[in-house]
Amino acid sequence: MSQRLLSLRNRLSFAFALSFLSLIAAAEMAPLEDDVLSDVSGQGGIYLSGDVSINALGGPVENSYFGSCDDVTRKCGARIAYRLKETGGWLVLDELRGGFAFEGLTLGMRTIDTGFGGDGALFNGDVLELGLPNIVRFDDVRFKIAASSTPRPTDLGFQQTDIFTVEMQGDVIMEGNLLVFPTGNP
Amino acid sequence: MTFTNVRKIALEFVISRSLLLGVMLGWQAVALAELQSLDDGQLSKVDGAGIGLVLDSFTFSHGTDKPDQSGEQARVFRISGIKSTDGQEVDITVNHLYIAGADSNYGQNLSPVNLGRLMNPWSIDVLNGDDIGIPNKAVLELAASTKVPMAEGFDCMGGSAAAGSGTCSSRPATADWRGERADIGMQMNVAVGADRSSNLNFHARSAVIDGSYIRLWGDGERKQMAGEFRFNLYSPEFSINACSLDGVTCGSRITMSDFALELAIGNRYQPIFFDVDGSGNFILEVDTIAAPPTGHIAASGKRDGSNAATWDFYNDYYSNPEYRSNLHIGNFSVGAKDFGPARMEGMLIQHLKIQTKDLAL
Repeated sequence: MSQRLLSLRNRLSFAFALSFLSLIAAAEMAPLEDDVLSDVSGQGGIYLSGDVSINALGGPVENSYFGSCDDVTRKCGARIAYRLKETGGWLVLDELRGGFAFEGLTLGMRTIDTGFGGDGALFNGDVLELGLPNIVRFDDVRFKIAASSTPRPTDLGFQQTDIFTVEMQGDVIMEGNLLVFPTGNP
Repeated sequence: MTFTNVRKIALEFVISRSLLLGVMLGWQAVALAELQSLDDGQLSKVDGAGIGLVLDSFTFSHGTDKPDQSGEQARVFRISGIKSTDGQEVDITVNHLYIAGADSNYGQNLSPVNLGRLMNPWSIDVLNGDDIGIPNKAVLELAASTKVPMAEGFDCMGGSAAAGSGTCSSRPATADWRGERADIGMQMNVAVGADRSSNLNFHARSAVIDGSYIRLWGDGERKQMAGEFRFNLYSPEFSINACSLDGVTCGSRITMSDFALELAIGNRYQPIFFDVDGSGNFILEVDTIAAPPTGHIAASGKRDGSNAATWDFYNDYYSNPEYRSNLHIGNFSVGAKDFGPARMEGMLIQHLKIQTKDLAL
């Protein structure tokens, strides 16, 4: 009996000690006011180098229309068709192929409170900064804008008018930073 | 086990549980204090935020290099697939396309520029159609910096870098700041068939596109994508010239100084419609204006005595400057010869239909 009482006392004191500890812990974790929180800035960012190829040799589909890029009788690029009217024809981004390579695309947060010809101090906020890679290497990038009667070239009654083709190759200079931030008053 | 023992164990259990519960509740109260509820009045002031975009210290340049001895080109930028009316292939080789800072000397010296201002950025937003005269629609808008009141803005032609000199938000370059006005240019060689003789170059110095936007929404009646397009281009000097294929000798430069283009295609009464027809041709159409509900217009043509709604409809359509396109050229010159200023004002597109045609058929 006395042993049980002892045990109860021990457990109670343990529970009190625990609750006291948690009170200390609560005292350590002080809530931040909104304006204090707004000054907290995430540090660091992401540095990306990339090499993206789209159908450089040919896509996965092989049929009467699509095939390998070596086969001159077949088309080898990707095709995206979209319709602008319920019963209308399709606008097509066709024969999209090639490679893009870039080194040093950065992504991070930036606090702006100075500069920008005086706008920085007025803005006084954080933006998402996408640092452009200075040089983007285009490796035989091609695409075609076309208008088509059906979404797929294998569909019945397929008829397509190619509007123009764009071809890009070599180093493209793209310097600077793209700053992205919310507008309005959320 | 005696009855007392059972009670003591139960008591012990209850005490430790209530302690745990108390601690947990305490934490929850801290968490709840951080979340404040908004009442209807506060909520109604919350505006769906769009995305602001600013290009800081930006330069873009691409073009086509001259072929080396083995005929290889390190850089190629070509637009092809177009046919002339007599069926010949048209191939546009872009020798240089650039967007850079002011005083680039027609793309020779590329320096950085800013596009969009932090306080008035380029934006992507979904607007409430009720606010812009397109009722019951959500409208996607892609817009450049907006125009601002005269007291805050800058001269669109760049005559002055002092605030209060004009309605453009983008600032011209000064000694202290690179500004938000870009030199934009495109040098291209247009080949028709085997004829590669024409080299055409366009350059716009210190160009501003403030107030430009494209708005897109779905038209329920036609079940089609509809849009409203506004393109403003202001430049103190817009020039066109033609050079020999190697670019060494150039003909006279056609210079349009103080060039202002305000192009409005489509409006709330007559949106632009985009479509592709059954034979695969692209169609861009500005439909004729939909007549308002019938209402009497007085013989005097005044609002008094007319049906107010009908009168207001026509008055807005014919007098609202937002629906009209303008072109101002301060001075038009070819080489050393000046032709003086030119103006086309208040153009209203009442019907437009552009359809591509496949010449290969």
